[in-house]
Amino acid sequence: MAHDDLRSFLDTLEKEGQLLRITEEVLPEPDLAAAANATGRIGENAPALYFDNVKGFTDARIAMNVHGSWANHALALGLPRNTPVKEQVEAFAARWDAFPVAPERREDAPWRQNSQEGAEVDLFSMLPLFRLNDGDGGFYLDKAAVVSRDPEDPENFGKQNVGTYRIQVIGSNRLAFQPVPMHDIAQHLRKAEEKGEDLPIAITLGNDPVITIVAGMPMAYDQSEYEMAGALRGAPAPIATAPLTGFDVPWGSEVVLEGVIESRKRQIEGPFGEFTGHYSGGRRMPVIRVDRVSYRTDPVFESLYLGMPWTEVDYLVGPNTCVPLLKQLRAEYPEVQAVNAMYTHGLMVIISTAKRYGGFAKAVGMRAMTTPHGLGYVSQVILVDEDVDPFNLPQVLWAMSAKVNPKDDVVIIPNLSVLELAPAAQPAGITSKMIIDATTPVAPDVRGNFSTPAKDLPETKEWTAKLQQLIAGRQ
Amino acid sequence: MTDDLTICPRCAFKTIDKLATSPVPGVWDVLQCRQCLYTWRTIEPARRTQRDAYPEQFKLTVADIENAIEVPAVPPLRNVG
Ligand SMILES: [Zn+2]
Repeated sequence: MAHDDLRSFLDTLEKEGQLLRITEEVLPEPDLAAAANATGRIGENAPALYFDNVKGFTDARIAMNVHGSWANHALALGLPRNTPVKEQVEAFAARWDAFPVAPERREDAPWRQNSQEGAEVDLFSMLPLFRLNDGDGGFYLDKAAVVSRDPEDPENFGKQNVGTYRIQVIGSNRLAFQPVPMHDIAQHLRKAEEKGEDLPIAITLGNDPVITIVAGMPMAYDQSEYEMAGALRGAPAPIATAPLTGFDVPWGSEVVLEGVIESRKRQIEGPFGEFTGHYSGGRRMPVIRVDRVSYRTDPVFESLYLGMPWTEVDYLVGPNTCVPLLKQLRAEYPEVQAVNAMYTHGLMVIISTAKRYGGFAKAVGMRAMTTPHGLGYVSQVILVDEDVDPFNLPQVLWAMSAKVNPKDDVVIIPNLSVLELAPAAQPAGITSKMIIDATTPVAPDVRGNFSTPAKDLPETKEWTAKLQQLIAGRQ
Repeated sequence: MTDDLTICPRCAFKTIDKLATSPVPGVWDVLQCRQCLYTWRTIEPARRTQRDAYPEQFKLTVADIENAIEVPAVPPLRNVG
């Protein structure tokens, strides 16, 4: 069942036992972030958190960790809560094939209920803003869907981008904002700034769970996130027209901010504890002026904690990073079986593949680095055989320990591109990249002694399913 | 607002603005340094609000702010016909 807004998804989470309401009074700092941080330390089926009793606020409603577990991720996609990760990724990849599914435009968006305009815009009056990590430069909007258009092709629906970026609140109507050069909105901004023009922008907070997934997903420049959301939901994504910019925004958002990125301006922003498990910044970043705010009555403020993995962001962008890489690799190399790009947004990727001939796996590894996402991420690739599950890390480490001859199977390529946030890059934006070929050599690559592997018994698959059923039935 | 008793925990600048005040009166304010834009709530722990308790690795100097790299760089203006 597709969820049209955040509230209906929170209801589902509650029914499934995946929403924890914190009713005692908490401090905005450090309690909200610390509680969400703790969800990443209590196992992989942690609940979402809902706070409505925050010191000093009269009507704060804060949802965190909404996507922050495999159970919640499954429910966001309308799958049973106990769906194994590999199956979630496979279901995601299968639904991708329905792309594009045209969105459905609706006129009655609930965020039309209230608005602030021009000088009366005051984000602090409407949102219970708070800090996440100790060293953060301020309070962040870190789970928004940001909508922008290509200034040279504004009517092109596919080139309209929906993405997630870190956004610091630096004034009652001002934001600082980080577009990484590899991301689509950076292309929109460059085109506007080359002409000396402001770039209009819409920022939507508290979105339905699939919009959040596609906003964090590495898609091609001219592919529509809304058309992908429709494919993943199995139903058209409901959208509405934002009143100031005319942009297409999610129908079900809690809050819609509209304004412009002010042309050719940069201002100090950050630092911010990032998905890399490290702070980045302060840097001089673009600045947004908010000219209009539309919001539902009693809006729910959704935020996510991120820092040293695993945190919510790893569950959120893990599967949605695997699938595009899987699809792009398979397009040329159908031998590719599965892709695990769930470590730090794909800075490291594990790929299982059959081999066409000797040396083939290394070619698959190089291709991963030259995919659109790979250019900015994918700095280490581990290749494993087709019968190794790349999501099963003990199997992956077995393959590395048994099949890698370092002199021949580790390839290091210097001075390739990576996003500036990668902590190991030197200088920022440049890194060497490594391929570890942990596949079994095939002819004419005749190295090693691999002729007598031990395999699972033929009956094991049947028994695996039977045991899983028995365990599930016991709960 | 300028409060002589308050300096920026991060860069020691003395001009501090008040961005917000608690909806429940008198519980907290949100303050911001006009130089480095550091933003904090007055009831946060000392390690985030007091200059002497603020972690060294997060402190900023004027030079740090002025020399911070631009991300992304402002592109050259292009003549448009
Ligand atoms: Zn300061």
